Amino acid sequence: MQQLIDSAAPSSPAVSRLSPHEQLAAVINAAQRVILGKERAIRMALACVLARGHLLIEDLPGVGKTTLAHVIARLLGLDFQRVQFTSDMLPADIIGVSVFDRDSASFRFHPGPIFTQVMLADEINRATPKTQSALLEAMEERQVTTEGETRRLPEPFFVIATQNPSHQIGTFPLPESQLDRFLLRIELGYPDPAAERELLAGIDRREMIKTLPASLSPPQLMSLQQAARAVHVAPALIDYVQSLAAYTRAAPDWQAGLSPRAAIALLAVARAWALLEHRDHVLPEDVQAVLPGVIGHRLRPADDDSRKVGADVTAARLIEAVPLP
Amino acid sequence: MARRDRPVSQRQAWWLLAAALGAFLPLTPHLPLWLALGSGSVMLLRGWITYRQWHLPPRWLLALLVIAGTAAVGFEYRTVFGRVPGVALLGIFIALKLLELRAARDALAVVLLCYFLVLAQFMFTQTIATALVAILTIVLTTATLAAAADDRPAPQLLLRRSGLMLAQALPFMVLLFILFPRVQGPLWGLPQDRITATTGLSDSMAPGSIAELSQSDAIAFRVKFSGPVPAQSQLYWRGPVMSRFDGRNWRATRSMGTQSTPPYPLTGASVDYELTLEPHGKPWLFALEHPDAVPANSQFSDDLQLLSREVVRNRTRYSLRSYPDTQLLFKDTATNLREALALPRDGNPRIRAAAAEWKTRHGDDATAIVAAAEDFFGRQLLAYTLTPPMVLDDVIDGFLFETKRGFCEHFASAFAFSLRAAGVPARVVTGYQGGELNAVDGYLVIRQYDAHAWTEAWLPERGWVRIDPTAISAPRRIADHFVAAVPAGEALPFLARANMSWLRDLRNRFDAVANGWNQWVLGYTPQRQREFLQSLGLEAPDWQQMTAVLAVLSGAVLLVLTAWILYQRKQIDPVRRAWLNFTRRLAKRGVQWHDWEGPQDFARRASLALPTHAASIQAITESYSRLRYAPQATPADLSHLKNQIRQFHP
Amino acid sequence: MPFTLGRPLRQLRLQLHESFVRWALRVRVPEPAPVVLSQRRVYVLPTRAGVAYVMVLVVILLGAINYNLNLGYALVFLLVGLGVVTILHTFRNLVQLSLRPGRAESVFAGEPAHFDLTLENPRKELRSSIRLFIADEDPIEVDIPALASSTATLSQPTQQRGWLAMPRITIETTWPLGLIRAWAYAAPDLRCLVYPAPAASAPPLPWSDDSAHGSTRDGSGRDDFSGLRNHQITDPPRHIAWKAVARQSDGPLLTKLFSGAAAQRIWLDWQLLPPDLGVEQRLAVLAHWMLDAEAAGLAWGLRLPGQRLDPGSGPTQLAQGLRALALYGTA
Repeated sequence: MQQLIDSAAPSSPAVSRLSPHEQLAAVINAAQRVILGKERAIRMALACVLARGHLLIEDLPGVGKTTLAHVIARLLGLDFQRVQFTSDMLPADIIGVSVFDRDSASFRFHPGPIFTQVMLADEINRATPKTQSALLEAMEERQVTTEGETRRLPEPFFVIATQNPSHQIGTFPLPESQLDRFLLRIELGYPDPAAERELLAGIDRREMIKTLPASLSPPQLMSLQQAARAVHVAPALIDYVQSLAAYTRAAPDWQAGLSPRAAIALLAVARAWALLEHRDHVLPEDVQAVLPGVIGHRLRPADDDSRKVGADVTAARLIEAVPLP
Repeated sequence: MARRDRPVSQRQAWWLLAAALGAFLPLTPHLPLWLALGSGSVMLLRGWITYRQWHLPPRWLLALLVIAGTAAVGFEYRTVFGRVPGVALLGIFIALKLLELRAARDALAVVLLCYFLVLAQFMFTQTIATALVAILTIVLTTATLAAAADDRPAPQLLLRRSGLMLAQALPFMVLLFILFPRVQGPLWGLPQDRITATTGLSDSMAPGSIAELSQSDAIAFRVKFSGPVPAQSQLYWRGPVMSRFDGRNWRATRSMGTQSTPPYPLTGASVDYELTLEPHGKPWLFALEHPDAVPANSQFSDDLQLLSREVVRNRTRYSLRSYPDTQLLFKDTATNLREALALPRDGNPRIRAAAAEWKTRHGDDATAIVAAAEDFFGRQLLAYTLTPPMVLDDVIDGFLFETKRGFCEHFASAFAFSLRAAGVPARVVTGYQGGELNAVDGYLVIRQYDAHAWTEAWLPERGWVRIDPTAISAPRRIADHFVAAVPAGEALPFLARANMSWLRDLRNRFDAVANGWNQWVLGYTPQRQREFLQSLGLEAPDWQQMTAVLAVLSGAVLLVLTAWILYQRKQIDPVRRAWLNFTRRLAKRGVQWHDWEGPQDFARRASLALPTHAASIQAITESYSRLRYAPQATPADLSHLKNQIRQFHP
Repeated sequence: MPFTLGRPLRQLRLQLHESFVRWALRVRVPEPAPVVLSQRRVYVLPTRAGVAYVMVLVVILLGAINYNLNLGYALVFLLVGLGVVTILHTFRNLVQLSLRPGRAESVFAGEPAHFDLTLENPRKELRSSIRLFIADEDPIEVDIPALASSTATLSQPTQQRGWLAMPRITIETTWPLGLIRAWAYAAPDLRCLVYPAPAASAPPLPWSDDSAHGSTRDGSGRDDFSGLRNHQITDPPRHIAWKAVARQSDGPLLTKLFSGAAAQRIWLDWQLLPPDLGVEQRLAVLAHWMLDAEAAGLAWGLRLPGQRLDPGSGPTQLAQGLRALALYGTA
């Protein structure tokens, strides 16, 4: 049955007969050829897609945020739109507008760039809160409502937003309530010296992306997403995730603990991670691996002194404080 | 602190009322009716107040009620001191205290009063039933104490917790009971108002007084023979000796012990036994004829009664050795012999005439006169009955010549009279004859209906000789049981009826339990404690030794209880237990597992540290991860994991 | 006479108690989390009720001896056993309890500080009636379900700004019978940031300085009104369009939307304050201003000698500003 669907899938690339794990391995390998020395970030991004969440990449300009987003879109064989956010941008610039059409004497909707499968929202913190919230509402509901009409967004729909570190002039940092809509937040960081040398020596990445073949088709991606949801979570592991969340709620280290939604997100990403690890069940290691990405934008340290420590350190502290049940 | 002033909640008020009722109700039969009703209605009132959530009465009213109650008790008993008046006052106080439940400390006072009322209960009765009721009261009171501290839990939960804690307290109770150095009471004054036994022999004997006892199946005493039980006809338990006769009643005259060693020489075989005497409020003790020594704190009077220095107020146990074949052959005083001849000046002319005739015929030959008297009694065809007809004047003549029906006291009285009239010194001896062997515990039980009276006559060459005139007319009374001697159709005590054998069997069993209770719980006296501890190997148990043993054993019990109570019953998942076992083995080799570390991370680390074992570490971790985190693990997987770990020796 | 004697005795008692507590605690203060009440640090003594109980037992024992009541002995021995058992139960109710410091929300000086403690019960039975208190404060009582945790919030009045460490606490219980008290001391690692109390009255917000930063006060309103939308629970209440709501009686709440990029900026500057004000008074005024500015929805910045906080608004900005004030001069 599975094979039947696979063969029936349109524009099925050569990888169609591969197992889910092999499919994913192929995607990762292809991505690594373009983005050097960032396997972890690639895997996290992929996990985010598999868990049907949106990704927030936070780092300085020029470390390859856009490239990563672009590569992901290409490899997954998805439509791609890139929107550079600015402070004069209006919600309609993203969602679309209705224009009066003289011929039909009626309003016609011109869809905005959001009607795509992968949208890269570059420098989202440059937009005004109003525009930000328009985007985030669309992300959450996977649909857009204008002038009383609701339009569904394509499936799959996936937003990769990038954000410069806050405290830059002229930015509107996303409030915590909005940040929660991103399943994962990752930091790219500078490439290590070897990777950077290769980057400098190699051909232009943008050119590479243009020629990058798709490794997956949308139906394959959706069945992989299905597979991620089916990864088994043992009761002991649920206890573990609950303990982690409970610990953040009680401990004085953070201003507020993880919400139940965050705990669900953690479990979803851990499932996707387990799938990437070629496993049909989640291990505590999976949870621990994705923990920095899940909690980095959700937990705010209570002590401002520790604001500078990264998500990895925070996650490590949390992991070591909570014994496995 | 503030908590002591915390008001008493409605729920707590119900608890306290229940506990007070529980402690007070068993006492009511022993209290005057007005008090039982008065305190009872105050408690009912308290219940109504709690139900309606009314205000409590003012303090001055309670003070007045306390004064009135105390005065009433003083009026009833002529004193407010002593045991019964004290208990009565407690009964009043607890009821009135319930009307003064304002703060936590009042609740505590009620609870402590309840515990005290349990003790009060024991002053009246200490049967097994009392103990059972007391246990219920204590459980209820302890639950109330818990409710006074925290009234939120459901009643059944508090009761269960109270029961559990008391069950845990039991070992301490047993240890302390056995080993706590006992002191013989009383500590102060003599408890004058100690309740006395209601049935039993008295120091006088009128016609009908023993027949009355024959209707009671209350236990007089129990005997445990160390050897076989002697024949029924030998079981004469000697009690009060009556020498003074006023024409109707016989009276005992001796109330003083004078000698500790028997004046008579001992002959024949001996019988060893231990006798447990129920309290009867009189000084005399009973012994099988005839003992070779006196029990502690007692002496022989000069008519050979065993008299205790004090009235037998408690169940008393003593061991004796008796020689049934012994004859009371010794030189008795002239006073005694003279007294044993005294008769009222007139009355009973017919037997006097008969006696005078024997005297004329046999002169000074006392033995012959006794034989003549026996012969005379045999020829009179006297009948043994529980319901002899009433004779108003000349009771001896009336019995011997007119009604010819009597119970043992008629026979003994008439026989002693006729011997005296013939010039042979004679007296009436009362006591018990026979007894019933309880097959369950091997105790011979002597009940009040075994009470008997017989005669002793002084024969110069043989001393005092026991002659049982009842045996002449009703030999089965002596050889068998008094029931056998009684004509059919007469009212018998319930348990004495022959067709009630199954009931008697039941009674025997119950009685064996009660006897064990009496022997070991109620009869655990300082002396018994000493004997028991000696039998356990403590050579000379003094209080230091007992305290030391007590301390050691209590410590042990405490340790066990502490371990039990503090033991964290962690029900570790078997898979996890196996894993912990595995990590312990690795920890010994210096690879410590952190409790937050995922299994595969740990396996990687451990493999790096111990490369030679990498394969088995990986395999075990794989099994463990599958069992704990993967779907559909089977018990076989678990045993496989356990096997792997068992074979793992890093 | 009792007064002259009582006072030194009370003093002595307090001193003795204090040195006992210090000895009993004998751990590094504050303690690292979690604080586990081990066997060695739980103390047990009878309560007053317990003493009364013992006295009643003595009386019952005397009665039993005097009247030779063996069941009286049994009664008193059973109750002695109960007394011993209740020690264990009370002890067990407290021992192995673990305390984890929770949150302590920042407060203004003068308000009570609230310290959250999470009490964890690793045992499979409920722990009932655990009381916690700080020195002379009222105790609070919690139950901790089996294998679960409960939160207790202890309050302590504050006077000074700065960090307020959670004082030593006493954890005690007399459960189940109230005859025995088991207690332990603990000093969990928890501190509360106390902000300076805002001045009761303060000068108006220092608008004058604003011009230096390129923004002027706009009398007609700071933002351009751009429309209405349905109110969401996260919208600030001051943006609710009350007038519009009033017009359509049963409609939903509406939120005013504003366009216009920059909110107005205002600098709250230590130097602006009159020179005769003391440090604490200055901080009090600054705190007052901050609350005003935040309430007015302004973007505000803070300048303290040697410190600067860039303009901004919102809870994070307020927290940072107040924190700077609270810790000013404490290095």
